Amino acid sequence: MCVPMIRWNSLPLSLRVAWRELQAIATSYSVLLVLVGGVFVYGLLYNYMYAPNVVREVPVAVVDHSHTALSRQYVRWLDATPDVAVAYELPDMVAAKSLMTQGEVFGILYLPRDFATLFYEGRSSVYPFYASTDAFLYYEAMERANLLVMEAMDGDYRTTLLPFLSLQGLAAVATQSPVTVVGTALYNPIEGYGVYLIPSVLMIIIFQTLMMLIAMMSGRERQQRLLAPYACLRSNHTRLALSLVCGKSLTYGMLYGVFSLFLMGALPLIFDIPHAASGLSLTVLLVPYIFSTSFLGLALSRWYTDPEAPILFIAFFSIGLIFLSGVSFPLELMPWYWCAVHYIIPAAPATLAFVKLSAMEASLRDIAPELIALCMQTVAYFLLAVAVYRRKLKCGYSSPHEKG
Amino acid sequence: MDNICNDARVTPPWEGQGGGPLLRELHRMTSRRIYLVAAVVLPLFLIAFMATIFGTGQMEHIPIGVVDADNTASSRSVVRNIAAVPTFEVLHHYADDAAARAAVQRKDIYGYLSIPPRFEAYMLRGEGATLSYYYHYALLAVGGEVMSAFEQALIPVRMAPIVVEAVTLGATEESIETFLLPMTSDDHALYNPSLNYSTYLTLPIFYIMFQILVLLVTLYAIGSERKEGCSHSWLASAHGNILVALTGKLLPYTLLFICEALLANVVFFYWVGIPFAGDMCLFSLLTVIFVLATQSVAVLLYTLLPALSFVISIVSMVGSLGATLSGLTFPLPAMHPIVQYAALLFPVRHFTVAMQQIVYSDAGFAACFSSLAVLCLFPLVALLLLPRLRRILHVCPHDTLE
Repeated sequence: MCVPMIRWNSLPLSLRVAWRELQAIATSYSVLLVLVGGVFVYGLLYNYMYAPNVVREVPVAVVDHSHTALSRQYVRWLDATPDVAVAYELPDMVAAKSLMTQGEVFGILYLPRDFATLFYEGRSSVYPFYASTDAFLYYEAMERANLLVMEAMDGDYRTTLLPFLSLQGLAAVATQSPVTVVGTALYNPIEGYGVYLIPSVLMIIIFQTLMMLIAMMSGRERQQRLLAPYACLRSNHTRLALSLVCGKSLTYGMLYGVFSLFLMGALPLIFDIPHAASGLSLTVLLVPYIFSTSFLGLALSRWYTDPEAPILFIAFFSIGLIFLSGVSFPLELMPWYWCAVHYIIPAAPATLAFVKLSAMEASLRDIAPELIALCMQTVAYFLLAVAVYRRKLKCGYSSPHEKG
Repeated sequence: MDNICNDARVTPPWEGQGGGPLLRELHRMTSRRIYLVAAVVLPLFLIAFMATIFGTGQMEHIPIGVVDADNTASSRSVVRNIAAVPTFEVLHHYADDAAARAAVQRKDIYGYLSIPPRFEAYMLRGEGATLSYYYHYALLAVGGEVMSAFEQALIPVRMAPIVVEAVTLGATEESIETFLLPMTSDDHALYNPSLNYSTYLTLPIFYIMFQILVLLVTLYAIGSERKEGCSHSWLASAHGNILVALTGKLLPYTLLFICEALLANVVFFYWVGIPFAGDMCLFSLLTVIFVLATQSVAVLLYTLLPALSFVISIVSMVGSLGATLSGLTFPLPAMHPIVQYAALLFPVRHFTVAMQQIVYSDAGFAACFSSLAVLCLFPLVALLLLPRLRRILHVCPHDTLE
């Protein structure tokens, strides 16, 4: 029992460790569940959930106290926009507010009694539009639709107000075309939410499932004292630790190489999410990402005492990683200490770099800061992982009932 | 961990005392660091994380660029207008669009304004001068802010040449502005007028992450009993009564989680400054029911799949779906119907609905009654399945599945 894998004695120890790790993964149902569920089911599910991509027909209520052809046309045009649907036409604001509290509508357009009167008198007709901020996507859709209708109505009816411009020559000036402002959304032509979020989620899936996999394997290793046979080998502990860290990481690297093909290769094609990254640039990003994550997981295994406990620490923070990556909220606006954490956890810079590569057609030079951070993490966590495994071998797991 | 269970068989400190399982659980909790870290340190870390991650919460000083190919008084005036917007910080003036685009690619800037050559000449002649702005929409949240700020800032620029010329001809500024924009919408962003990200996300995201922790810790507390072969000892401490055993076991965690959630409410509303329009008692009641409902889901899941390593793996993945299914980021009605129905199975969805009603709209008990009622159903369903849990603990006291 002291010398594991006698049949493979001629192979380098790291390869034997890699093979043994693969065997252990393949024979553990719970680990396979994390891999299949986390990588394949989760990858597909997230894409399916965000497949609608855009928000359409946000229900709003209209309180029309004007009751004129002009107000009716405004309501018709608002209803005709793709973003908003006029769900209710109500007699007063109290009823509209009540519907908003119940979540039946997300906006209220109030057209006052003098809406058309002021307009036809050549005076400014101001009317309020109330939009809920429960969901920012709803708010943006309503604001966009209302602005569109306001501009269209103003443009359409402007000529009817020419008689109010009494000064000679003014009419010619006022009918000139104003400055045209054109806004263009870069890198997300369909302006979809899924297009924005999914690339980040895919990278977080890799990080979280790999951390969980390592936690479960290391926890079991500690619980069942699976390192004890290695500690008996007549070799120095540093060399053994090197072989263990390299062997295990080799297995994780190979597995996640295959998973990355599914996550970054197949899924973007199936669900039509951005996939502008070239194979080479993806490889250059994923290699340090997977290995730095693997080394980080192995370094943290110092504190893993059973297969389940570490999951408590890893799983709850998935959403936090999205924020730390700077994809959702700009890094520039975060406090300095969270910006520093961004460069410590591999998932954060890697997610940002992947979004740059896949959605923004960035080159390797554009992701240089993130690549440098990942490479530095790889080196640092590798040394840390070796030190941790060296210590584990020295201790030899002599005390299986160590407090966790 | 085995020590605790085995020691218990020799000299159970809780034997013959009232609240046997409760004392037993307190003994277990204090015997391993994991309980302290997972049930106390992590929630406190979460409160600190959510209270600070968004900085001021305001999307201000977002770096943008300017390409001024016209270099005239008018174009410089437009640039000055843009630079004065609090949302923007004009980081750099680029020589051409290609350089600005490359800067966006590197994420040095989140958008840029491009003023074409002869802009002033076209504008003064009224021959359709055009201003183009570009915003980063692969990063949708910040991109949306940049777009909105550009639109707002450029409204006066659109009409400026006509207004100036009309005023020189003798018209009043007010009359020409009324002519150009006769109907003007006065937009009000309710509950969050400054569109502050902290106000929008801090509270719901905290509870989404917190519920994952509640689910996992509850599962671990129950599942580790069978994993360590201590099921009989646990049941014996409650004289075989599963309801007493479970209540005694979960009560310390329930109290801890409730205290932490209430602390989070205080921190977010009074320290971070998230506006709160509703009734604090009602919101506290909602928080308590939410913690109980989430713990019940954990009990329910363990009863249906009594293998710790399996169920904890599943929950660790399913828990994160709460962010999507709460409807906070992408509105639920815009998703596929099957996803909308699936969301009903998550307490966090009902909590989010009720929370938004109370916090934003000052809704009373009647308005959020349905959400509260559904949240109360989760413990009831878990109670119905307790006999099955007892049978599992009694008949199969060891969980050897891995």
